[in-house]
Amino acid sequence: MNRGAVQPSDEELVASVLEGDREGFGVLVERYQGRLVNYLFRLLRNAEDAHDLAQEVLVKVYQVLDRYDPQYKFSTWLFRIAQNAAIDQIRRRRLKLVSLRIEDDDGEGRDWELPAPERGPYGDLRNRERAGAIQRAIDGLPWEYRELILLRHYGELPYEEIARLKQMPLGTVKNKLFRGRQMLKEKLQSFLTD
Amino acid sequence: MNERPDHTHYRELLNLELDGCLNVEQRARLAAHLAACPECLAERGQLRAVSTLLERSALAVQPDFKQRVMASLPAAGWESRHPRTWSFPVAALVVLLAAGASLLGAGSARSGGGGAGSAYGLLAALGGLLRAALVAGVGVTAASWRWSEMFVEQLLASPMSLTMFGVFVVCLNLVLVSLIRRSTGRHGSSAAAAAPGAGLGAAARRGSHRGGRATRSGRGR
Repeated sequence: MNRGAVQPSDEELVASVLEGDREGFGVLVERYQGRLVNYLFRLLRNAEDAHDLAQEVLVKVYQVLDRYDPQYKFSTWLFRIAQNAAIDQIRRRRLKLVSLRIEDDDGEGRDWELPAPERGPYGDLRNRERAGAIQRAIDGLPWEYRELILLRHYGELPYEEIARLKQMPLGTVKNKLFRGRQMLKEKLQSFLTD
Repeated sequence: MNERPDHTHYRELLNLELDGCLNVEQRARLAAHLAACPECLAERGQLRAVSTLLERSALAVQPDFKQRVMASLPAAGWESRHPRTWSFPVAALVVLLAAGASLLGAGSARSGGGGAGSAYGLLAALGGLLRAALVAGVGVTAASWRWSEMFVEQLLASPMSLTMFGVFVVCLNLVLVSLIRRSTGRHGSSAAAAAPGAGLGAAARRGSHRGGRATRSGRGR
C-alpha cells in the first residue's frame, strides 16, 4: 500500500476504527461534516435541525460501522443514510414545512446563517436576499433534480457515486444535473451578474 | 449552407467541464467550439456563476460539532454487542478447555501418578464420567450424586484444583456473555446490515426516529 504522507482513505479509516481507533472516526467526521451539514441544511432548511440530524446520522453510522461493506464508497453509504434520515424527518415535519413555505413568500421565518462575503448594512441585506433566492431556487426544483443538485454541489459526490446511490444510470444522472442547473440558472439570473 | 451548431450538446459538455469530467477529446472539441461561439461562452460563465453562488451559500459548521459527535458516540458502540472477530470467544474457550482438562488431570494424577500416567488418568476420568452418564440411565439422581461427589472430592484435593475451577467458571461466563451479546447485536442491527442498499436506508430511518430528541438534549447539557 502506498501510505507515506498520503491521507488515509475513508475505507482505511473505517478499518482502523473497527480495530479500536476511535480517533479515526473523528477524522471521518472532520472530513464529512461540512458536506453533510450543508446537504441536510438544504433539505431541512434549518441550520439547527441540519446540525442535529448530521450528528444523529454520524452516530448511527458509527453504531453500524461494522456492517459497512468496503466494496462501496464510504461517502455513498454515508449520504444514503443521511438522505433517508432527512426524508424521514421531512415526512414527520410535513405540516411544519408547509407553514414555513407560506412564510417564504415574504422571505421571513428562515434560519439563514450563511457566510457574508459583503460587509455593511447593504451587504448584509444583499447577502440575505441572495441566500433566500438560492434556497427558493433550490426548493423550486422538482425533487428528482433537486436531490441530485444537492448531492453534487453540497455532498460533493461524483457522478458515479450519485448514480450508485440513486440507482440510476450514469447518463440519467448527467442529464438530470444538466437540466437542474439550467433551471437554477434561470431562477438565479438576477444574481449571476454580481 | 450556414449550419447551426448543436448548442445543447456543447451545453452538456459545459456541465461535464464544470464537474471536471471531460476527457481530452471532449475538452479539445469544446474549446474549439467556444472560440467561435459567444453564446456558449456566456453560458459557461453563467454556469460557473451558479456553481460559485451555491458554493458561497455554504453554511458554516458549528465549531463544536465534531466534539459533540464524538461525545455522543455510544460508550462501547458496536464493539460491546458485536465483537468483530472471534479471537476473544475462541481464546476464552481455549482457556476454558485447558482449565477443564487441568481439573480432570489433577484428579486423575492424584489417583494414578505423573507423566504418561496423568494422560492415562485423564482418559480414565473421562471414562468415569461416561460411566456415570451410563449409570444415569438407571437413575439420574444417583448418577448426579455420584458425579457431584467425585467432583467435590477432586475440587477439594488441592488449591490448584480450586483455582482452576474458579478460572473455569469465569471463562464459561465470559463465553456465554459474549455469545449472548453477539446474538443480541445481530438481532438489533440486522436491518442495518445491508451495504448501501434499501435495507440500510430503513435502518437509517429507524435510527433517526430513535435518536432525534436525544441529540438535542445531549447538546443542551
